[in-house]
Amino acid sequence: MNNKGSILDKYLGLLNGPQTIGRGVPFWLGFLAIVATLAFGPEFLSRFQIINFSNFLISGFMALSLCLIWGYCGVLSLGQAAFFGVGGYAYGVVAINLLNAHGNTDIALIAGIFIPVVFAAIVGGVMFYARLRGVYVAILMLVISLVIGTFMRQTADPDYTIGAAYLGGMNGLRPASPDDPLLPSLILGLGQTIQEFDGRSVSFYYLTLGLLVAVYLGLRCLVNSSFGFFLVGCREDPDRTETFGYDVRLIQLSVFCISAAIAGLAGTLYTAWGTFIHPDGFGVAQNILVVIWVAVGGRKDLSAALIGALVLEWISLKLASEGEFALLFMGAILVTVMLLAPTGVVTTISDLIGRLRTKRSTLAASEMKNGEPDV
Amino acid sequence: MSDASDKPILEARDLVKDFGGVRAVAGLDISIYPGELHCIIGPNGAGKSTFFKLLMGIQRPSAGEVFYQGRNVTRLKPFERARLGMAIKFQAMEVYQELTVFQNLFIPLRRHHRPKQIPEQAAKLLAQLHLAGTEEGLVSNLSHGQQQWLAIGMSMAVRPEVLLLDEPTAGMSPDETSETAKIVKGLNASGMTIVVIEHDMAFIRNLDSRTSVLHYGKLFAQGSFDEIEQNEDVHRIYLGTV
Amino acid sequence: MEELATIFGYFYQYLDNIGFLILAASGLIIIFGMMGVINMAHGELMMIGAYITAFAYYAGVPAPLAILLAGLGSGIAGIILERLVIRYFYKQLLSSLVVTWGLSLILSQGFLLVFGPSILNMPTPFGNFPIDEQTFGIYRLVLFGISVAMIAGVWALFTFTRFGTNARATMENPGMADALGVNTRNVYALTFGLGSAMGGIAGGMFAMTATISPFFGINYTPLAFITVVVGGGANVITGLLASVLALAGVQTAVNNMVNVYVGYLGMMGTALVILLVLPRGISEYLERRKIRTERAADSE
Repeated sequence: MNNKGSILDKYLGLLNGPQTIGRGVPFWLGFLAIVATLAFGPEFLSRFQIINFSNFLISGFMALSLCLIWGYCGVLSLGQAAFFGVGGYAYGVVAINLLNAHGNTDIALIAGIFIPVVFAAIVGGVMFYARLRGVYVAILMLVISLVIGTFMRQTADPDYTIGAAYLGGMNGLRPASPDDPLLPSLILGLGQTIQEFDGRSVSFYYLTLGLLVAVYLGLRCLVNSSFGFFLVGCREDPDRTETFGYDVRLIQLSVFCISAAIAGLAGTLYTAWGTFIHPDGFGVAQNILVVIWVAVGGRKDLSAALIGALVLEWISLKLASEGEFALLFMGAILVTVMLLAPTGVVTTISDLIGRLRTKRSTLAASEMKNGEPDV
Repeated sequence: MSDASDKPILEARDLVKDFGGVRAVAGLDISIYPGELHCIIGPNGAGKSTFFKLLMGIQRPSAGEVFYQGRNVTRLKPFERARLGMAIKFQAMEVYQELTVFQNLFIPLRRHHRPKQIPEQAAKLLAQLHLAGTEEGLVSNLSHGQQQWLAIGMSMAVRPEVLLLDEPTAGMSPDETSETAKIVKGLNASGMTIVVIEHDMAFIRNLDSRTSVLHYGKLFAQGSFDEIEQNEDVHRIYLGTV
Repeated sequence: MEELATIFGYFYQYLDNIGFLILAASGLIIIFGMMGVINMAHGELMMIGAYITAFAYYAGVPAPLAILLAGLGSGIAGIILERLVIRYFYKQLLSSLVVTWGLSLILSQGFLLVFGPSILNMPTPFGNFPIDEQTFGIYRLVLFGISVAMIAGVWALFTFTRFGTNARATMENPGMADALGVNTRNVYALTFGLGSAMGGIAGGMFAMTATISPFFGINYTPLAFITVVVGGGANVITGLLASVLALAGVQTAVNNMVNVYVGYLGMMGTALVILLVLPRGISEYLERRKIRTERAADSE
């Protein structure tokens, strides 16, 4: 990747670095422009559109999650939706149970992020410490996601109740009895102050946008730090990296857990957004969509993956009004990009821009040297 | 020349390694002393690379033990041995092909240096390896010999006590080979114990060090380079009559 | 005498599960062993076979012929996919996973658009037979029989025909085979076609026991995949057999001890354990042991 340093490196510290494309003034201006557009968007959008946008920002978290573990660490997981779903259900179960007692969903939010991490630690621990690589990790995660989905689908029996929450089988999570509260949206409380973030509200949209920007910037710092170098080493040649004294299994496991946390956050936000979560979230479609976003955008770079997700989800929203073409189109795009631009569309474009710039600057340099252009 | 220290820094005791029906290493007993420069030679298939893999922990021995600084490390994983002070450069190139030279060096350098110090340390290392100024370029732009040097440099960067080099001059021109010999001797002069597997006789003659000859996975002969060079039996195993 | 029925019941289930896995996985493992490609669209090739079988049958074609047509149709579809897309991804396990998953999405969604979400059904032929007070379907035994015939056929093809020799040579060392005059391009295309055709036939067989819809394939792809990976690509036949016997065995046992869902879980768990111990699959381990015994015999 062409990642020449820029004048902003001094001021932006770890936000700029060799593992993320886009370090210069044009990139950051563009970034600010996009964030500003998204921030002021609600002024111009209808209520319905704002609700959709909240949902489609959530796909950004999933893309970042997969990009981290696949693009940077080299571990393809075809079952990230498993963490999304586990996070969503964890949030829902805890929220329904504690809402009356606490008046807020603080703990539920934490559960929605933390329980997927525990799950990832167990599954990842087994996989990485047994030195399972490549294909096996990929398919194992998909199978785990499908298996959980299958399990959740057959929890229609009223016995499948955790406290006040009834798993509900195919119809999704719901309260166990009329006395128990409905699945709540986010209600965050600190001491006496309570703030509700109803999924249909503008405040939820801003919360999601804020969290997405925070996670994106945080990950930028992470991958541009020393740890990011180790990640890339594990991806490029894990055996060689180990000979330098790095515990590759531990690095893979930590990154796996971090990406599970982000996917869990996505699931939590999604559940709070729609106040529902049901087993379809574990299915093949959910898993393959994340892979498509990241593969088409560019898996080795955070911005590329994020842009891939947002653009494809937006196209998908537009297509939804035309008919059932969205998934077919996604499949076609994936195959086309894998054939023509296997590193991803955004990454390929950025490489081209980089190369054009280098050509122009070497041309300019040789012009200055000789006084006339080289032939 | 070797430091006269009583206790070996690295020891293989009765190492055996079987692959399916093949016994690659068949009871190997070798001791390496601190500060030594030691060469390992032998015909193809003698078990030299497997020996290195057993020393570093990349392969587990079928029998036998490895001792490092008097401590039994046979059960330790490669990264644990690396943290104790062992480093290795394999036959295969051992650089990160898709990354820049700087990124290649950052990863090993980071073990002993803080990020702010690394650009300077990298520059120093590159100067030693005749690669000054190449930081920003991709590794794939370097010549084969330069990539080998970079690979050696990466192993050096973790400041090991013992450095294992498996065919460091493979594919190098005679000029590059003598440069490599200089680099290796320079490292050894600064106190690093170095064990080298090589085929290139000019290189080994240049090193002029204690030499072990492996044959069919066993230690066949050991001595100074001159002794080995005069040894009739060693000649014969290379000609295939033993 | 009830024991006879129960014991036969276990046996029957075991054979049923074996037949299922063999049919689902045999096409896939040939492709995996030959080209190092994991075809996530295998289920959709089976779906194509199922649809062809159903349409042919309802158009009046007798069932066995309909199934052969299905094999032909899926085989051709497979060759087209191979020439257009797959051939750029040999030996790239992860990339071939992703791109074939895309193909699978195109195929299933494409069929959904063309044929709609409504499901088709075919009648299960041959009826039942009684053992004591229980009845068992004959068709499942036929399915088992066909699956065994299919493996035997593949084995014969690889052992006795010139294509088979070329294919095995290409599998072991494509560069060498090429240098010796084998048209490796054709071998790859035909092998992929063969694997797809087997998928089509499997789809046709399953069409008579399962509902046919555009999402038919999803029931089979994960299981087929796991069977293939546990079997390993070193020796396609032994790998498939060993893997199927082990996995179907666990599934049958756990099915009867707990329930079908846990049986499925048990199979996954077994697959995981086998992979932890033998990361390249059973056949790779068996091949290594064979070499070891051969070498030991040689040195005596």
